[in-house]
Amino acid sequence: MRISRHAETIWHFIFMVTVLVMVFPIIYAFGMSFKPLEDAYNNVLNILPINASLENYRTLFASLPVLKITMNTFVVASVATVFKLVTSFLAAYAFVYFKFKGKEVIYFLLIGTIFIPFTVTMIPNYLIISEIGMLDSVWGVILPQLADAVGIFLIHQAMKNIPGSLIEVARLDNMGHGRIMKDIVLPLVRPAVTSVGIWFFIGTWNEFVWPVLVLKTTENYTLPLALQMFISSEGGTNFTVAMAVSVITMIIPLILYLSFQKYIIGTFTSSGIK
Amino acid sequence: MKRWLLATLCIGFTIFLAACNNEASSESSGNDGKTVIEYWHVNAETQGGQTVTQLVDDFNKQSDTVEVVAKYNPDMYKGLMQNMQAEAAAGNSPAVVQIGWAFLNYFSENFEYVSPQTVIDKHFPEEKTFLKDHFLPNVMDLAKNAKGDQVGIPYSLSSPVLYINRDMLKEAGLDENGPQTWEEVKSFSKEIKERTGKYGFYFQEPADNWATQALLESNGASFLTDGKATFASDEGIEAYQLLTDMIVKDKTALHIGWDQGVQSFIDGSVAMAYTTIAQRSNIQDNAQFDVAAVRSPIWEGKDAKLPAGGAMLAITAQEEEKQKAAWEFMSYLYSVEAMAEWTKGTGYVPPRHDVADAENGLKEYLKENEMMTAAIEQMDGVVPWASFPGDAGLQAEQLLLDLRDQLLKGSVSPKEGLEATEDEVNELLQ
Amino acid sequence: MSSLTAARRMLQINRENAIGYLLLVPSIIIFAVFTFWPIIYTVYLSFFDWNMISPTKEYVGLKNYIEVLSDPKTYRILGNTFLYIALLLVINCAIPYIFAFVIDIVLKKYKNFYKSALFLPAFISLVVGSILFTWMLNPVSGPLAIVFGWIGLEIPNWSKAEGWIIVVLSLITSWKIFGYNFILLYASINGISREIIEAAKLDNIPLWRIFIQIILPMSSATGIYVFIITIVQSLQYVFTPVKVVSQGGPDYASSNLIYHAYHEAFVVYRTGHSATLSIITMALFLLLLFLEFKFVERGVYYEN
Repeated sequence: MRISRHAETIWHFIFMVTVLVMVFPIIYAFGMSFKPLEDAYNNVLNILPINASLENYRTLFASLPVLKITMNTFVVASVATVFKLVTSFLAAYAFVYFKFKGKEVIYFLLIGTIFIPFTVTMIPNYLIISEIGMLDSVWGVILPQLADAVGIFLIHQAMKNIPGSLIEVARLDNMGHGRIMKDIVLPLVRPAVTSVGIWFFIGTWNEFVWPVLVLKTTENYTLPLALQMFISSEGGTNFTVAMAVSVITMIIPLILYLSFQKYIIGTFTSSGIK
Repeated sequence: MKRWLLATLCIGFTIFLAACNNEASSESSGNDGKTVIEYWHVNAETQGGQTVTQLVDDFNKQSDTVEVVAKYNPDMYKGLMQNMQAEAAAGNSPAVVQIGWAFLNYFSENFEYVSPQTVIDKHFPEEKTFLKDHFLPNVMDLAKNAKGDQVGIPYSLSSPVLYINRDMLKEAGLDENGPQTWEEVKSFSKEIKERTGKYGFYFQEPADNWATQALLESNGASFLTDGKATFASDEGIEAYQLLTDMIVKDKTALHIGWDQGVQSFIDGSVAMAYTTIAQRSNIQDNAQFDVAAVRSPIWEGKDAKLPAGGAMLAITAQEEEKQKAAWEFMSYLYSVEAMAEWTKGTGYVPPRHDVADAENGLKEYLKENEMMTAAIEQMDGVVPWASFPGDAGLQAEQLLLDLRDQLLKGSVSPKEGLEATEDEVNELLQ
Repeated sequence: MSSLTAARRMLQINRENAIGYLLLVPSIIIFAVFTFWPIIYTVYLSFFDWNMISPTKEYVGLKNYIEVLSDPKTYRILGNTFLYIALLLVINCAIPYIFAFVIDIVLKKYKNFYKSALFLPAFISLVVGSILFTWMLNPVSGPLAIVFGWIGLEIPNWSKAEGWIIVVLSLITSWKIFGYNFILLYASINGISREIIEAAKLDNIPLWRIFIQIILPMSSATGIYVFIITIVQSLQYVFTPVKVVSQGGPDYASSNLIYHAYHEAFVVYRTGHSATLSIITMALFLLLLFLEFKFVERGVYYEN
């Protein structure tokens, strides 16, 4: 190894600074959520509050059905994730192991949707959801998100790496497609599927623009919408309560991440997303 | 095997949650034969959201016939209009909505609504004179569109006031009652910058032209004359010049977004802030210095002309039954007690003239909250918010905002900028 | 490669194509209803003058296209869009590439710590990030301004300054997406056979050459994916901070094509213009994607 100590120290310094920039806002949000608003305005630098209190959380729980909202968010995120994974897996399987007319065109069309600005789909989707009476319901939020082009793409990439001979042998054994998927392909692409799934979950968990349009009553809100209730340009933003909502919004993804950290990073590393 | 078990558990849990979810929502819509109507508002929790919830709950408890569902719309009146837009495209509409003044014309030209008086005449003949009895004509006029139709009833009324940091004024050796005129605002600001090194003044910069209108029209300019833009008069240019000079030339005024500007006033980085009375509780509760709200400054020798901010309530219910329910709800909101609660919760000035002095109204409250006084006193000088008529009205509004960005950056002079924008707006309005 | 083809042939002999199509049905239905139909509808709307609620739409032919394409604002915003893309490509594609390389190959200590910490913000909502940064970066009162003040530095008034606003909004967006891109690239580099790298090290080949001549080509498939996804992010993800922090201002200095389409549709209610902008954006980026497929994908290294 010819890497000088010097260079290594410099790199450590660069990474430490980057880590600080990345992590500081999260610590700051946590700190602020326990401070009185007055304190937040007047002692911006004091991250760890001297007179910590749960006041902001009390305000929050008093004005919103937080548990219900958290549950809604969970339902939206998990249902959308499960469906996206299933549809993406099936589509990817079709693209990798079948040859049919128009395959390239369909693939290109589906993957091309990654580039479609959401402004295009927002209003027509709203009309559809309204037409079938799903406004103000988490199902209305979920329905347009049951398939995903990124998912198809990533799982497709992972499947391409499976040696064809495995499938060949299975077919010779007269194995059905259902069993091939379940017993051969899925175990081999599981890291990819899991990492894509985590990504979907976080994405829908934090989603904002579309739920704002669909959901109306606070009982049906998801967490990112609850955040909006404490932000008002005219009356002033209640920054500390907003941070308390932020902390609640963050906490589940963060707990998930921190407790499965090794597994999640390991999953991404072995996902064969290439 | 374990993994499959885990997956099954996850799915099971999800379905369970989903089931709970359905149950709860069907429960909330159970309402023993009452007429259910939607009330759309923009009041975030920091801006009276809790008062809305409380008023709606109280109303629902005492009414046997009507059940109101309140829906909060993020992003203020613009956000509410966006949601209305989507809702209308889907063929629905709420029953009662808050419409910001800037959207008065756009709303009345594009959405189906009924004038409250029409509903009253039809269903509540005994309350025929309610509006006449309790509202001043100049206040009711705020809710009239370009054609002169009464679109709704003023509900949330605000006016711009000057918040001052008395400690900083003292430190700079200035009159701690604050400046009376815009000319003084400018010189105060300079003194403050020189003596304390901090910013002297912040002029609110939201996505509307409300405060700008107050500045220009108080100097004798007028935004709209007979449906044409006329803000580029000499007075208008002079008024804008003062603001741009403070920011671009003197560098004594802070040029920054609204939230950040208020943040900087509260933490003592800026000595004076010109913004809405709706910010009162935020500022009062959080500032740690001697803070006061004084009347909007005037121009030397001229009267203040302040556009009313806030919103009106309009009835957009389509079916007669719902229209009737809408008024039942509104007449509750406009009762003296409910109005008083509304002012306490939001800082808005009550649109009814008989609330401020009433024993069951705000009498006690105003004694204790001096900061409200300035806003209530200056209501005599209130004029309608300039709402540009026609399909292009909102674009005209936008052009003025673009102009503000250009002027405060210093890339064009107020004279050039205002004249060019006036021409552009008039071309659009044709 | 040949065994894969063989396997495909095997599958083909049987009931064939039908099953392939069948597997695509769920995805295609969802896409048809919630993506393709809206696209067609948007193309249709781009030929009309409409405000989304008035009962009549007026057919105006190509007028919307002519107006949008002759508006100098459109080109400013197009410029902004590419500036966002360029900045985000540097911050979220080039830098994480180098970081991933250094952490995997160069460093011996704290690897796991860096990986976890850098990935952390990826789990947090951009709305939260935007509010947080607006507060923290207040050029007069924010914590950063105060710390800078101690050493006599001033923060530029970024929210009202052309150029700066794009930089700051890009940084806010990057805070969220950096970690994800980084971990993907790390995964790919980590998967490269150690033997080749060790051999190169023994031959005293400098690190930068290892990076360019071995790492880059061998991880190019992921590299291309991250490259594309960064472009998408710089179009779509940037929307949230733009909406929360600057609303496209000052004077369109921070607007990008997607935000502008939103602005036209939901702020000034010109549905036709908005649809036209969306169509132009879509066409532009599909063209880029097509070029990518055609020219770049050829040189990409896949393991099989």
